[in-house]
Amino acid sequence: MTQRISKSKRFYMMNPIIQFFKFIWLSIKIMLVVAGGHGGTRKANN
Amino acid sequence: MSKIVILGAGISGHVAAAHLRRKLSKEHEVLVISPNSNYQWIPSNIWVGIGRMKSEQILFPLAPIYRKKNIGYKQAKVTTFHPEGDIEVAKPFVKIEYVNDEKKGQTEKVTYDYLINATGPKLAFDMTEGLNPGTNKAYSVCTYTHAEHAWQALNDLIQEMKQGKKVKILIGTGHAKSTCQGAAFEYILNVEQELRRHNVRDKAEVVWIANEHQLGDFGMDGMLLSYGNNIMKSSEMVEMVFEDRGIKWIIGAGVNKIEDGIAHYETLDGEYHTETYDFAMLIPAFSGHGFKAFDKNNEDITEKLFKGFMLVDADYTPKPYEEWSVQDWPETYQNPSYKNIFAPGIAFAPPHAISKPRVSKNGTTISPAPPRTGMPSGITAKLVADNIIDIINGKKELHHKGSLGNMGAACIASAGYGMTKGSGVSITTYPIVPDYHKYPETQGRQLGKTFGEIGLAGHWLKLALHYAFIYKAKMKPFWWLIPE
Repeated sequence: MTQRISKSKRFYMMNPIIQFFKFIWLSIKIMLVVAGGHGGTRKANN
Repeated sequence: MSKIVILGAGISGHVAAAHLRRKLSKEHEVLVISPNSNYQWIPSNIWVGIGRMKSEQILFPLAPIYRKKNIGYKQAKVTTFHPEGDIEVAKPFVKIEYVNDEKKGQTEKVTYDYLINATGPKLAFDMTEGLNPGTNKAYSVCTYTHAEHAWQALNDLIQEMKQGKKVKILIGTGHAKSTCQGAAFEYILNVEQELRRHNVRDKAEVVWIANEHQLGDFGMDGMLLSYGNNIMKSSEMVEMVFEDRGIKWIIGAGVNKIEDGIAHYETLDGEYHTETYDFAMLIPAFSGHGFKAFDKNNEDITEKLFKGFMLVDADYTPKPYEEWSVQDWPETYQNPSYKNIFAPGIAFAPPHAISKPRVSKNGTTISPAPPRTGMPSGITAKLVADNIIDIINGKKELHHKGSLGNMGAACIASAGYGMTKGSGVSITTYPIVPDYHKYPETQGRQLGKTFGEIGLAGHWLKLALHYAFIYKAKMKPFWWLIPE
């Protein structure tokens, strides 16, 4: 086992208060990516 | 009045049925044909496989929901396609065989005006000798029953480890062309965390085996993603997580045979190896169902409908990897020969892989097939439903389009279960199929929209999605406000 994640980073990753705000941020960001629309590729590139 | 028949009640079929029923008036008939009696939220199978969720939490019976929503339902499997009808029946139809107790074995010709083939993949365990869930100490989490068996075996092993037994756990892909590495990735991280929770982590060697040439390929050619203030390759991210968790890895490996506790595999350098194990979870190859199609004179026209999976509006011209483009990928999922047949989700034949194909020195293709699961299945099913509604309402062209080359996806990979100890690797990618012309300097994807995050919030998010999507699938009030 090799420690690849520092203690401070691990604290950040697992702290419930910080992660609560991260949860809100992630929810919004993911919503923007996945609900941000989709379409074809052929007309736009031709 | 139109009759829309949907084959399959997985994510894709169920989404299509729900949207069609909601948007079409009652004079139109929506009929679902599926051999399964339950809807299952497949992404949560991995939690059944570690004993942290019961099957009942991830499934519900289809019949009562469909009855309540005025959606027809036949518990049956499709056997043949007849898109021109036959001598006896003028309308197009599919032949089905009932699988439920009352009518088991009975067949019926079900006519349609529009057909949505959402039959998903066949889990082709038979393509790997000896790979059969529950035998040879190898398991699967592809269905909830498979996941239950996996947990029983893993739990037994954990009890033995508590008595001091040292074991090896092998998780990954069970065929040279398997896809769905993401599910195996989630499972290995969850298993590793459960071993720590049971204080037996030191008794286990945990090994990842996959057909990817690089960690983090996921059948999507890997990705370059934003990670905090950094830009990181998905291979680096997965390597960081695996090393931190003490997980070893074997990559570029095509598993070709399973014996009791032994996995035989070939690597890209042409070498043959074996790996022993005490518990394995290996994702099989996915294949088409081998359906046959016939014209009105009963002549075989399978090649007009299927190339393994169903043919749609993709460019299937064989060409080298360097000439692949996002324009090859389908936009409407409409069959080119029969315009009233559509195949969203996993049921459509991809024009080619997404990852660069790789062949071993012995000529064996060892390369992941393209993933088309989860969110894209829902999106493509909804756009197919919307296009059918447009056609019914008199529109001539298909306005709703959704190429995987112009669609974002989120993969919230669980990395361990628990409200305070859990973790998740949240990755979004845009587009799913890399567009190397549009984004030449960022490996075909848009940074910012392609990002990764690791932490407790990822677990909460996956759990929130679990409840949200089951709520949506049950078609409870305002379900349609939840995006696919």
